[in-house]
Amino acid sequence: MLEVTDLVVRYGQAVALDGVSLEMAAGEMVALVGPNGAGKTTLLNTVCGLIDPAAGRFRLGGRVAQVPEGRQLFATMTVEDNLRLGAWRVRDRDPTRIYHLFPQLANLRRRVAGTLSGGEQQMVAVGRALMAQPDLLLVDELSLGLAPMVVDTLADHLVELNRTVGTAILLVEQNARLALELCPRAYVLEAGRIAASGPSTELSQTAAVRAAYLGGALEEAS
Amino acid sequence: MSELPAEPPPLWQRLLSRQALGGWVLAATAVVSLLAPLGLDDAQLTIYVFIGLYTMVVAGLSLLMGFAGQVSLGQAAFFTIGAYTAAILTRDAGMPSLLALAISTTATAGIAALVGLPLLRLRGHYLAFATLAFQLIVLSAISQVPQLTGGDTGLTAIPTLSLGPIALHGQFRTFIFAYVVWVLAAGVLVMNRNLVRSRPGRGLRALATSEVGALAAGVPVTRYKVQVFALSAGYAGLAGGVYAFFVGYIAPETFPVLLSVQFLIMAAVGGLGSVWGSVLGTAGVYLLIQVLDTVGTAPGLPASAPAIFSYAVYGLVLVAIMLYLPQGVLPAIQARLVGRRAVSAVEAERSTRAS
Amino acid sequence: MNAFVQDLLSGIATGCTFALVATGFVVIYRVSRVVNFAQGIFAVLAGMAAESFLARGIPHPMGEILGVLAGALAGGGVGLAAVGRRNTPPLASLIITLGIATGAYALLILIWGDQPVSYAGIAGTTHAGPIRIQNQFLLVIGVTALTFAALAAFFGRTYLGKALTACSSNPHAARLVGIDVRAMSLIAFVLGGALGGLAGVLLTPIQPVSFDSDVDLAINGFAAAVFGGIVSPGLSLVGALVLGIAEAIVAGYFIPSFQTGVALILLLALMVWQATRRRATEQEGT
Repeated sequence: MLEVTDLVVRYGQAVALDGVSLEMAAGEMVALVGPNGAGKTTLLNTVCGLIDPAAGRFRLGGRVAQVPEGRQLFATMTVEDNLRLGAWRVRDRDPTRIYHLFPQLANLRRRVAGTLSGGEQQMVAVGRALMAQPDLLLVDELSLGLAPMVVDTLADHLVELNRTVGTAILLVEQNARLALELCPRAYVLEAGRIAASGPSTELSQTAAVRAAYLGGALEEAS
Repeated sequence: MSELPAEPPPLWQRLLSRQALGGWVLAATAVVSLLAPLGLDDAQLTIYVFIGLYTMVVAGLSLLMGFAGQVSLGQAAFFTIGAYTAAILTRDAGMPSLLALAISTTATAGIAALVGLPLLRLRGHYLAFATLAFQLIVLSAISQVPQLTGGDTGLTAIPTLSLGPIALHGQFRTFIFAYVVWVLAAGVLVMNRNLVRSRPGRGLRALATSEVGALAAGVPVTRYKVQVFALSAGYAGLAGGVYAFFVGYIAPETFPVLLSVQFLIMAAVGGLGSVWGSVLGTAGVYLLIQVLDTVGTAPGLPASAPAIFSYAVYGLVLVAIMLYLPQGVLPAIQARLVGRRAVSAVEAERSTRAS
Repeated sequence: MNAFVQDLLSGIATGCTFALVATGFVVIYRVSRVVNFAQGIFAVLAGMAAESFLARGIPHPMGEILGVLAGALAGGGVGLAAVGRRNTPPLASLIITLGIATGAYALLILIWGDQPVSYAGIAGTTHAGPIRIQNQFLLVIGVTALTFAALAAFFGRTYLGKALTACSSNPHAARLVGIDVRAMSLIAFVLGGALGGLAGVLLTPIQPVSFDSDVDLAINGFAAAVFGGIVSPGLSLVGALVLGIAEAIVAGYFIPSFQTGVALILLLALMVWQATRRRATEQEGT
């Protein structure tokens, strides 16, 4: 589904990704954890084609869509418009199936997206990405700024989606505990390099991931 | 930035480095400007004086655009205000010309500060439009009060520059004016150079690159912007005052909007934020304008030819520079010589946006 | 009273042309974040082109439509230069549009000379009780109303219109869902060119245009656009009508030559007011 090989991304002088390799099979759910500034968002944006890599390459085995960090909704437009615009690259612009997935959104369809609660906005963001009928869904910081209960609900939806539709999901999280719980396999990104990778159960024992845990804990405390 | 060259670069490269080149240009400018008037006739001297006057205006504009990231499309308005204030104070109020020059310069800077204080809080393009509007208002206002300004016919018989009883008249008038103007221009350039290298200068450079970044770094953004705006207006006011004394006649049509566009082109050619570029940019563009006028008024061409030539060239030069040499013509040549790209404000912004 | 009403109507008609220019500014700015200094040129070009087409025997309204198309084409050209290259900073884009506006003078003088150009609009007057209204004024008002209705439908109902709005609402998110923001900016420039062109072909029969008429139109249009923060077509329309009426009254009853001065002073006052308001909201925010 996704094959990233020796990817290098630079911002001017600064190196954001320094030879990252990563692999995902179709229908797989993989976590990408690491501290703030490790290059996680850069990796996602490169895979989405928003950033040109300086070296290396990546191959996509289907359509990709991103749920960006901080939701990035069209804040001045309605929920329905947000969803429909998610389908820019595909023919089918009917948001009904998203309303089946998130019944709550059906009642909010005429509301301006910027006026919704954080959890509702995150639902719109996920829904908008799903409108593109992706084979690979990139989710950037699902839990950021949301109450634990809301995060649980959203996480359940993602797992459900992965199980029923077979959409591959790359879950990027600072909250490593959550990501490793949801995904069977994980990569740890630190300072632009893959520091560790493997089954989540094994990874959560290693020192590198403890450091990432610590980073997550610090982030929550501040 | 982190990589330092292992061995010192060859001598010729050091002599062409950014700092050294600044020094060379400084030395060359000083020598040329001191010697040049000796070999020029009166007509050439007049051009020489104008280049010096416009250099002052362009140096301010270049500072404003390159270091504060703001565009002024009404720099000629401040030139106008300086000229009219100096003319009225000497001609009608009988004030000594040096005092009038000091007052008109200060007044121009003060007016700019008043206008800029609210406007500079807004996004950059508001200032661009506001300054254009401001120039039109100034021109319109001058026409509205003929009792003071002579209206559309303008003011004639403006006294010349004088120091006590000694007034600039006679055979060597233009010659001496050339030295006066270039001493002032040199003063402006040295002031710019020192400002650019000072702590506020570094803050300003950050400002041109990223306003948010500068704010985060504790740079008092609005205050710096207003100060640079007022300073650049002050330069223009000073040049305007000297212009009035030198030419002796001013009218609204002396200062069209196109003059502001010319200043903009000169600043862009010299490189926004490049102190020494403003001299060469001004000289290059001014001489080009002279050539265009000569070509356009050649016999056999229609009466509109000079206008067509100059509009076309102004437009092409502006667009071409912004598209292909946003760091300015002079810095681009310098970068080619030194073998590395000089980073100007626009270029820096381009790379930040790219990320 | 009769004379006053007629001044009012002529003010509304000029205000309508300002509104069209203003909306051009708004449409382009919302998507591309570029304030287009060549906006007035579209009107001048379209007015002059329409005059040439009509003079060559192309009938109304075909000549005018071709004029508007010329404006749209010019809009596309300006857009290509201003935002066609990746990562052109807004400062550079602004200067590019100014450069094109200056260079366009050369072309306009070369083709049409430096004298004002005009053509007959629709003839006749309509009588409403004691008031006589020139039909051209009614045409200007009617076409402007239709244009605004069409714009509202375009941005409010069509997918492309919403994609344009999305680019202004959140350009990053627009790129994420796959919208090509630069292509959208070009579309906005074409639309802005057509709107400017429409203003030009409507205005030319009322007020002859010369190559440098763009400054007045652009300043008035921009002042109206600033009234809506350069993002709201509706508020721009209000601003433009206020401006048109105020100028007609100033010209008719106070200082005839100070029409544009009114627009300029209103523009500066508006900007200053917005600056202080923005400062207040920022302080609330922190």
